[in-house]
Amino acid sequence: MPINRREFLFRGIGVATVSALVPRFAVAGARNFEESLAPGAASRVLVVVELAGGNDGLNTVVPYTDPLYATLRKTIGVPAASVLDLNGTLGFNPVMTGLKSLWDSGRLAVIEGVSYPNPNLSHFTSRDIWHTADPALAQRRGWLGRWADTALADLDNPLCGCAISQSLPKTLLADKVVFPSFTSLSAYAYATDGSASSDSANQVAGFVKENSVEHEIETRNSAIAGVARDAASSSATLKQVTSNYVPKAAYPNNSLANALKLCAEIITGNLGTQILYVTYGGFDNHASQKTAHDNLLKAVSDSIKAFFDDLDGQGKASGVLLMTWSEFGRRPQENNSLGTDHGTSSVHFVAGSAAIRGIYGPAPNLASLDRNGNLTWQTDFRSYYGTVLRDWLKADADAVLGKGYPNLGFVNASYV
Amino acid sequence: MSITWDREAAAHLARRAGVGATPAELDSWVQAGLDATVDRLVNYGAVDNSVLESDLQTLTTSVVPPATAPLYDLSRIDGVRRWFLHRLVFTKRPLEEKMTYLWNLWWTSGITKVLGVTLMLNQNKTMRQYALGKFDDIVVAISQDPAMLIWLDNALSKAGRPNENYARELMELFTLGVDNYSQADVTEVARALCGWTVQGYTSADNYNGAKFFDNTAQHDNGTKTILGQTGNWNGRDAIRIILEYSDNRGSVSGRFVANKLWTFFAYHDPPDWIVDELAGVYVSSGRSIQAVVEHIFRMEEFYAAHARKVLVRSPVEYVAASLRQLEAKTDMSVPVADLISMGQAFFDPADAKGPEGDLEWINTGTVFARASTTNKFLTNRGSAGTRIDVNQLVSGKTLATAADVVNAFADRFGLSDIPPETRAAWAKYVDSNPDGSAGYWRNEPTRLDVKVRGLLHLMLTSPDYHLC
Repeated sequence: MPINRREFLFRGIGVATVSALVPRFAVAGARNFEESLAPGAASRVLVVVELAGGNDGLNTVVPYTDPLYATLRKTIGVPAASVLDLNGTLGFNPVMTGLKSLWDSGRLAVIEGVSYPNPNLSHFTSRDIWHTADPALAQRRGWLGRWADTALADLDNPLCGCAISQSLPKTLLADKVVFPSFTSLSAYAYATDGSASSDSANQVAGFVKENSVEHEIETRNSAIAGVARDAASSSATLKQVTSNYVPKAAYPNNSLANALKLCAEIITGNLGTQILYVTYGGFDNHASQKTAHDNLLKAVSDSIKAFFDDLDGQGKASGVLLMTWSEFGRRPQENNSLGTDHGTSSVHFVAGSAAIRGIYGPAPNLASLDRNGNLTWQTDFRSYYGTVLRDWLKADADAVLGKGYPNLGFVNASYV
Repeated sequence: MSITWDREAAAHLARRAGVGATPAELDSWVQAGLDATVDRLVNYGAVDNSVLESDLQTLTTSVVPPATAPLYDLSRIDGVRRWFLHRLVFTKRPLEEKMTYLWNLWWTSGITKVLGVTLMLNQNKTMRQYALGKFDDIVVAISQDPAMLIWLDNALSKAGRPNENYARELMELFTLGVDNYSQADVTEVARALCGWTVQGYTSADNYNGAKFFDNTAQHDNGTKTILGQTGNWNGRDAIRIILEYSDNRGSVSGRFVANKLWTFFAYHDPPDWIVDELAGVYVSSGRSIQAVVEHIFRMEEFYAAHARKVLVRSPVEYVAASLRQLEAKTDMSVPVADLISMGQAFFDPADAKGPEGDLEWINTGTVFARASTTNKFLTNRGSAGTRIDVNQLVSGKTLATAADVVNAFADRFGLSDIPPETRAAWAKYVDSNPDGSAGYWRNEPTRLDVKVRGLLHLMLTSPDYHLC
């Protein structure tokens, strides 16, 4: 039976004097983490970008030569002449110059028609299905949480992954690994009195000391103290390694870009962080979609491009793969409010040097919609996850996902 | 009975039966004795709570320009959160609110799916109404509660197409526990609950006006066999059968309730003898939650050393305890807003099972989130928002040395028994100059203001304060 987090936090095997006088990792020690990573997986980073609300795939990667598209999207459709063509029948929404540039340089894969059998149209439910990779909703842990429990637990690294978020996304919910979530570097620190900054170091020192009492046996008190010490030392290290960070690209001004910039900072800090998770919301465009959605897509496209430009400049891009997901797509037929309602499958992106440029999966079939007028899905999202797990993270994908799913082939499995 | 009733015991009871007591409250509890204190906690109907109710009446209705809505705007879930947190902090009936909070965790429902803010508020009021009632009554009340009917889909359950979601969770999560019923029982209970639905659930009024409707046209009037009992059972029958269900060891729901109540009030994984003792009280009292809870508070085992400071405070309990023991003034704005970053989206659980709780609340991110929130309380020197009154807190205290300052506050937060190294670290903090050297402390206003606020922050972020 897997050890649950409670036991993990106790780290209690027999009697252990928990001495906190040696911080868990000092700046020099940060490099030790890289040495402790599993061989082959060293310095491979996966960045997961959640597009929250249900991204309209049809206006993102547009089937612009399909006459049905124009019929279904009389008002909010993307004009065929304006798309950034990919293969003669599909083209990007014209705002997506950033992702197009990644495509042109061979670093973008487009995954079409991703969903699951009997797609659920509730945000709440479908999101959980994607988080846990289980349409039956029987799994408590997230899909990356399940991977982390086998791949990252023994590394004992409080920053082996994190979410740039107010609360932990279920994708990262694990039993043996505790991923912190924070919205900024300053949020990942012991808050002190802003009106007494000369006392700040004393306050932080007091916090470390009160959590450093030696215990002969593990108790809840010592478990909590251990977490607090981990927090304090990882925060100090993070601050130190990121204080030297200078962005090598100009990021646009939006929350996704801010989060990705923080990811770049953390990656550049060489702390052994392997999973980074960010969320960007606003995609639930039931009304007046065109401008709002275009703005979102532009933000997504420009932010991801800036992120990779920055990583290129930092010399870290080769070790990073980014993937997007959304809880569902939108209905092909626009509604009476110039928007779209919840749909089924959508298109997702994988970016990075290990991505093999291409369009994976058939173009949306607008002639064959289900009885709700929604796209019939083509690719099970577990194939999508499985390909990333198997070929990028070098994991036992079948074990994480419960069984084998066809590999989609968008990651170069021999990438080094 | 050999329970030593001293300040420590009273503080322990206060943390469990409520969110913790102020020094003045502890004084009066110690003086009153265990019996009278438990009696007052349990029979809270006799305690005058009119100040709370009248304050809440003002906070939920009075609009002070330039605001355009009341401070606790009950048309928004934020307002309901503030209203409930206010009750937890300021009530004169701690156990009434603590039990309502337990029911909130036990009978999960979430605003993201339910949508109607008033439905969530009404469910909370129902939980309070039955806080220490008969278990049968609360099970029926919640099973007919509109928020619950939406959350677990029983509102959709019709004869011929019974929806099993509520029937399953009713037995698995709420009354019997997993493995104590079969899939066949789930189907049959679902049939018995057909027709318990809502009417008036519409976006026209933001889903706020839905009411329970017993749709007899959708009743399944066939014979059903539930947990071995056969008959043309309706919803109330099904609940009665579930709660009466016994096996070789005794009442199954009794053991379930015993386990949950002991785990919530005392400690995790109670041994069999405790479960059986409490299940016996449950049965002999006609399934009275009040009887079981009162029994717990009079048990020696409840006051045992290994029962103290072993429960991890949830974010809600941590914030409520801080506010209460700081005797803070607050508009509940920051406290409610920050609960999500501490891991508890109040009234919005991630799933039907609710939060795992215990050490799951504590990770590096939430440790910093808790520290950030209490830092906001303690460093707000303005006259609005959440703030403390340093002068009031130090009034009458000896503050000549750094050690005195520590002593002035340790008791307030139930930290008198912390290890000497921690006490020394706190005193060192109080006496530290900006460069870390010793000799800073003198009892004068500027030093007092900085170091008292800083010290209280250290106390509230120490491992002990996350425990109750």
